[in-house]
Amino acid sequence: MAEQKNSYYTQGLSVPETPAPGEEPAFWKQTHVVGKRLPRVDAYERVSGAAVYPSDITLPNMIYGAVLRCPHPHANVTKVDVSRAKKMPGVRAVITGQTPEAKKLKWKYNDYSGPLFDTHCRFEGEAVAAVAADTHFQAWDAVRAIDVAYEVLPFVADHNKALSDDAPDIHDSGNLVGTDEYERGDVARGFDAADVVLEQEYHTQSELHTPMELHGCVAGWDKDRLTLWESTQGVYAVQSEIAEILNLPLSKVRVIGHYMGGGFGSKLKPGKYTVLAALLARQSGRPVKLILTREETYLCTGNRPASTMHLKAGVKKDGTLTACDFTCTGPSGAYPAGGTALVDWQIRDLYACDNVRCASKDVYINAGPARPFRAPGHPQASWALEQMMDDLADKIGMDPVALRLKNIPEISQGRNQPYTTTGLKQCIEKGAEQFGWKKAVERAKAHNQTDTHIKRGVGMGACVWFVGGGGPPSTVIIKLFRDGSVNLNMGASDIGTGTKTVMAMVAAEELGVAPEVIQIEHADTETTQYATPSGGSKTVPTESPTVRNAAIAVKRQLLEMASEDLNVPASDLDYEGAQIISRNDKNKRIKVTDVSRLKKRGVVVGVGYRGPNPPKKSVNPFAAQFCELAVNTKTGEMQILRFLSANDSGRVLDRLTYDNQVFGGIVMGIGFGMTEFRQLDARQTGRLCNRNWHDYKLPTALDVPVDMESLPIEIDDPEANNTGTKGLGEPVTIPTAAAIANALFMATGIRFTRAPVNPIEMRRHLTAKKEG
Amino acid sequence: MLPDFSYIQPETVKEAVDALTDDAVVCAGGSDLLGCMREGIITPARVVSLEALDQLKGITKTPEGGLAIGAMTTIADIAKNPLVNSMYPGLAQGARQVASPQLRNQGTIGGNLCQKPRCWYYRGEFDCLRKGGKLCYARRGQHQFHAIFGHDNLCYITHPSDTAPPLVSLNARVLVKGPEKNRTIPVAQLHVAPSFNPRAETVLEPKEIITRVVLPPVSENLKSSYRKVRARRAWDFALAGVALALEMDGDTVLDARVVLSGAAPIPWRSSAVEKTIIGHQLNRQTIAAAAAAVTKNAEPLEKNTYKTYLFEGMIEEELARFTPRDQE
Repeated sequence: MAEQKNSYYTQGLSVPETPAPGEEPAFWKQTHVVGKRLPRVDAYERVSGAAVYPSDITLPNMIYGAVLRCPHPHANVTKVDVSRAKKMPGVRAVITGQTPEAKKLKWKYNDYSGPLFDTHCRFEGEAVAAVAADTHFQAWDAVRAIDVAYEVLPFVADHNKALSDDAPDIHDSGNLVGTDEYERGDVARGFDAADVVLEQEYHTQSELHTPMELHGCVAGWDKDRLTLWESTQGVYAVQSEIAEILNLPLSKVRVIGHYMGGGFGSKLKPGKYTVLAALLARQSGRPVKLILTREETYLCTGNRPASTMHLKAGVKKDGTLTACDFTCTGPSGAYPAGGTALVDWQIRDLYACDNVRCASKDVYINAGPARPFRAPGHPQASWALEQMMDDLADKIGMDPVALRLKNIPEISQGRNQPYTTTGLKQCIEKGAEQFGWKKAVERAKAHNQTDTHIKRGVGMGACVWFVGGGGPPSTVIIKLFRDGSVNLNMGASDIGTGTKTVMAMVAAEELGVAPEVIQIEHADTETTQYATPSGGSKTVPTESPTVRNAAIAVKRQLLEMASEDLNVPASDLDYEGAQIISRNDKNKRIKVTDVSRLKKRGVVVGVGYRGPNPPKKSVNPFAAQFCELAVNTKTGEMQILRFLSANDSGRVLDRLTYDNQVFGGIVMGIGFGMTEFRQLDARQTGRLCNRNWHDYKLPTALDVPVDMESLPIEIDDPEANNTGTKGLGEPVTIPTAAAIANALFMATGIRFTRAPVNPIEMRRHLTAKKEG
Repeated sequence: MLPDFSYIQPETVKEAVDALTDDAVVCAGGSDLLGCMREGIITPARVVSLEALDQLKGITKTPEGGLAIGAMTTIADIAKNPLVNSMYPGLAQGARQVASPQLRNQGTIGGNLCQKPRCWYYRGEFDCLRKGGKLCYARRGQHQFHAIFGHDNLCYITHPSDTAPPLVSLNARVLVKGPEKNRTIPVAQLHVAPSFNPRAETVLEPKEIITRVVLPPVSENLKSSYRKVRARRAWDFALAGVALALEMDGDTVLDARVVLSGAAPIPWRSSAVEKTIIGHQLNRQTIAAAAAAVTKNAEPLEKNTYKTYLFEGMIEEELARFTPRDQE
């Protein structure tokens, strides 16, 4: 086969040294592909519409599913009569709690297990029955023709009332999901040692997951084998849950998720809709497409739970934090779902403090269960902690940046072990420098002295993310064909972050081939390798070392093969660009594509595994964000003028997708801080008020500053893994809202303890301030 | 999911009016109608589209020297029209602040005037007063976006249009074609207060169609503007808005029409503000008095008292724009 011009670099680009068998690869000192700004390898498919998402799937004979959902936040189903629906035109399957196939099935929420169709409906949107028909329209007509009777029960929608005596019990066990407590040092003594002690209550709202692609799947049976095209963050996670629920061998459940339109944590697992689609498909003998409506996803596919937090903190005049006492109540929703999961991690781990106490209470309310929402728990506590830090700084007359720098911990206090690397200090320091913090503060304060009702503020916040180091298991296979082109096979999903592109770059770096000749095959349980779901900002640190190992496995085999051609031992060989040469005799060389056994076999297959993380060390990313904004103190309107995010996420693999993650995180943080909130009709019906994109307000292009800057803080971290990478997707959204709140304080002198701060909230507080 | 309906696209206005049976609705741009149909708020058997009626599209000068805007003219076309911008900047500004670019390209001025309210109880599965139920859920419920004026303690929607307030302030009229007769209605009288009928938004009869919006000639002294404050900076309805049409002689206000959006179930004319400024120099004292006057007679609910202060701040800011720069 003719040598492809771009398959192998011919300019003698250096390829990293191949480690001897059994040896770990050396840390990349200098890179040629990694770190550049490479557009996505699948950009054409995504932009042109050629990419096939699960929502785009159409199969021969495919029919459509629809779900009847309980319209009340709390009710008993007393009757479900499907006789009329069954006779409707086009209807091919109807399932309820009485359908034999469904009756025995269980659905789990964390450690809670209940019937697939529970007659006790605990939230608005709980599934009562499902149908499949030849068209969408027929399916929905049939849903409406189902005759259901409900006994409506009293509900509780407010997590702060869930444990009160007059709140109805959502479960027999009561409304407490669980508590979590943590303590180190002696908080009381810490407060005694403080010069200033402050305490404050903070509230954050519930946010609803709004990925562009709706939740859902297409399910089809081939005899006893189920295939699911699911919009998911992890095909193997869907496979294992569905196999367990339907009692099928893993080998009989194939899950395909090549493209997916966002998940943000809400698609880490299959939905009840996945099971329903499989059951409807089995009953009808047809493939069934069941994609939820936006209204349905808002009711039942997850949320960031609201929080009510109390934080008391003490500081010495020199800025030393002496104690933090934190409590939080948050709702799981109607079933156990981590209502306060990870909410106290910022308090435990971010700033040096010897005396810390945290207590959280997770409660049930009659609303859709939570699901992980980009950095679960973290933006909530950041909202409290970062505002408190600013208040403490103000009280002791210290600059907020300086106070934070004073309290950089040397180890992970939450885990009591060192970090492999911590860039917290550099993120704050270099971020402040690049942002022009001091000048910006002076400028804003001077501006606010002038006779204008448009006030300015700058604010900042920092963060640590709970995980982000990735880890095993992960398996990747790289095939190098005889023309030098490459196929990279991995199970991980690209959830929109650019995983495929980044992995192609890692393979290109190690093999010396152009990224364009690397074809990625991924996210299919039948044809690609086991991977854990893409979440927790761990895909890059998990998969990229594995990809590198697989590439090295290819290179080792090629050296073995070349040793036959060159008659020297493989240990004497290494790469020089697209050639393999003898270290001792530079005249002995052979082009990779000329290696005899490669030509004969046609392919070399390298398998890579993810090795373990370093023992007794934490691998965590850090960030600091800075913002400048303006407030119209007559109308309460706000405009964010600029944002800077300094991130320590280890090595940058693709600067383009890296920056885009940063900007996306800021946008999402602006939604959390300023625009988004779930509104339940808590005082009357308990139902969701805002279930469309007008009433549920995502930030628009005009709510986001044009001036956003990404400042990577790259610190060599060879201990973390062989690519030196840490996660990025979540830290980028943790301190955003808190930085905004701190800037609003500088602009208005008002402490906004309740998120989001939209013009309504702003105008209320401006009035309250004026009236004293 | 849309219900079954038949779709008719007449080629003349008369055909359109004739096609309007009792169970039919008019579709102009459709951006609001389709949402209402999908949500089951309106369940027509027949949709009569005005799309093919080219005679209802476009902006022309009237013999009197005003402008006639065809009811099917898109909001985007109005926003960028040079005549509208030079003669009626308030209307152009209103049009520019409607929804999003996509919706402005699709939505029409006729449709914008006949919008259904955006109240989340009305749009949601709540059997509310306006949809034939017994109860306005907003009153005891979540009403932070709702009306502080003119709700008659019956229905607390705010009228969603950003073009109606400037049109009222500019003394515009709509021409209406019905099965028997044509009529002209001042935009100020087009919309319906809850006490008159809590289930209707306009005075249009079921078989009537707005064909044109006619704006009277403007004097050189007329200054107009529209300002809107919203919860997010684009694609949102007004928390509070104000259309100003001021006849100025130097810095003295000869005549004024001040119409609020986001305030009441109809575009809300604030005669309190008008009285405060008419005949006065537009200076700091007048503006402060006008801002204070806007909240007079406001009847906010528990969670929307902020609106009174918002209107106050906005009126102050907006009126100040019409004071000569070098004054004081």
